[in-house]
Amino acid sequence: MEFITLVAGSFSTLLNPMVLAYVIAGFIIGTIFSAIPGLTATLALALLLPLTYSLDVTIALMACASIYMAGMCGGSITATTINIPGAPSSMMTALDGYPLQKQGKGALALGHAAIGSMAGGAIGAMLLIGLAPFIAEASLLVQTTGKFSLLAFAMIVIVIAQRGKVVKAAMAACIGLMLATIGLDAMEPVTRFTFGFSSLTAGIDLMPVIIGTFAISEILMQAGAAKEDRKTTEAISAVKIRRRDFIPPLSSIREIGLICYIKSSLIGYSVGTLPGAGGSMGSFLAYVETVRTSPNPESYGKGNPKGIAASESANNAVCGGALVPMLTFGIPGDPITAIMLGVLVINGIQPGPQLMAGQADLIAPVLASLLFSAVVLIPLTLFLLGPYFIKIVSIRKDVLYGAIALLAVVGSYVATYSTFQMMMALVLGVLAYYMRKNVFPVVTMLLGFILGPNLEEFLRRSLALSNGNPMTFFTSLDSLFFVILTLIFVYFLAIKKPLQKPTGAAQSA
Amino acid sequence: MFYLYKKIIFQFLVFIVSVGYLVTAFNIGNPMLDGQLQASFFPLIIGSFAVLFSGILLFKEWALVKNKAADPGDDSSPYTAPILVLLIFIYILAFSAIGYFIPSTLFVFSMILLFSEKKKIVQKAVISIVIVTLGYLVFELLFGVRLPTLRG
Repeated sequence: MEFITLVAGSFSTLLNPMVLAYVIAGFIIGTIFSAIPGLTATLALALLLPLTYSLDVTIALMACASIYMAGMCGGSITATTINIPGAPSSMMTALDGYPLQKQGKGALALGHAAIGSMAGGAIGAMLLIGLAPFIAEASLLVQTTGKFSLLAFAMIVIVIAQRGKVVKAAMAACIGLMLATIGLDAMEPVTRFTFGFSSLTAGIDLMPVIIGTFAISEILMQAGAAKEDRKTTEAISAVKIRRRDFIPPLSSIREIGLICYIKSSLIGYSVGTLPGAGGSMGSFLAYVETVRTSPNPESYGKGNPKGIAASESANNAVCGGALVPMLTFGIPGDPITAIMLGVLVINGIQPGPQLMAGQADLIAPVLASLLFSAVVLIPLTLFLLGPYFIKIVSIRKDVLYGAIALLAVVGSYVATYSTFQMMMALVLGVLAYYMRKNVFPVVTMLLGFILGPNLEEFLRRSLALSNGNPMTFFTSLDSLFFVILTLIFVYFLAIKKPLQKPTGAAQSA
Repeated sequence: MFYLYKKIIFQFLVFIVSVGYLVTAFNIGNPMLDGQLQASFFPLIIGSFAVLFSGILLFKEWALVKNKAADPGDDSSPYTAPILVLLIFIYILAFSAIGYFIPSTLFVFSMILLFSEKKKIVQKAVISIVIVTLGYLVFELLFGVRLPTLRG
């Protein structure tokens, strides 16, 4: 209750014009980046990460939260209007959004998407605010061996969640872990894998890893794919949207029903708490569940607003869910929470079980910003800027990528004022580029890099405490709990037959 | 046939790096001393897994090459990405030697040319200067980052 009061009180932080400006700017940047196919909110955050050095950590995290929320709903703009999801999480939205657009009801579809996002975002944020303190309290019960098993559980789930490319995901995680072992050992004065380079003694900074993985590799990926743009621009110029058309009639919202919004949000929130699952899985499961329980399943994929509502409620509720493991255990579930974790680390704040207890006054405004973004900024920006957002998609890609490249390369210099970090960002960008070209999920590499040091530390401490006996992971209750949880997830994610995608999903993907 | 080998080259490199990592991990020292884990223990585990996974991937890719069944991949230009990497590399060197403005303007200009047709050069040059100036304002004035200059 105390924490809820603290969050409620934190809304006053948003009355500060400077803070509000950063939160709104973050939301608009997040929307623009997620609306443009090829760009993502993760890229926006990666590019803006260096700027957080000079910002107050609370403001930086509040802006991150608004970018996160915007990133989940912004993808629906192009998913609906031109059938190209701006973000993977909006893939299911395109199934019913685009047919509505073809019926001349594109603005209505966007309105439904905004209401779904608003409901999902708000429910996810409220669940986070309500439950996170209890989870944080429970997380304090997890001891050293349990912490190792928890991190191992997170790594395994992240890997097996990449269905169809599990070995590549495992290899990507290994690459991340290998990168994390470069530098001085945390427990002994021994340097590892530095090969005589003194600049590597302190290890590789998180900043060049994030910029290389998400910004430089993205520019390299886009370098050979500029031909598609003309088609997109032509499709955009054909779309005409008026502001008043965005507001869906009340009867239509009633028809969707409160149950659909709540159920989809709960699915999204639950999926969000799983490492590596992300918005696309949340919206997919919510969409499938809505179709399954509908009396008219044949109407989906042909412009049923309920499909849009389910998909968008779920992917925005993922935001609240994904912040649970990040804030309570220091385990990022997706690239955006990984970058938010980076903001904490950069500012010398240790993420983990103690964070919620010791830094509640820092976390509360972030959650307030998340809720504010969902309830106020999603509908407001769509209504005020919606007609212009769709035009943003037709922005000149050459200029855009020129600016992004400059921000990425100079941004990697900001961390330490060293050109070595810039070179490191380039090297890691090239590595991530070739990994992406060969269908390796780079997000598992990033999570391996982030979780690696703690994984090693807790493994070594656990075994030191048990005199090298590995059975300690099965005899300690907290550890055993996560071992069993791992086995359950391995069964459901890797052994049991996966859900089939709805027919239309394959077409839109 | 070239794309088949291009794919296997990457898997092969990953395998070689994994083996190199494992060998280096062995050279760090004993993984256990007096019942206590040492600095090489974790890298040895990671290295072993990496060799295993990269070996599986290499084997799978090799099987695909033998059956000529590999995914033909994308049709993007094979030269654009290496040119871009070279551009960024030169930019980083020039950035530290000459400072922010001139290398950044040339870099953004080349990037714009790389992503577009070689027309309206003057317009693109002006856009580059505007982007670099805006970048300067954002970094140096708004966020207080000291960017290098010609004078150091």
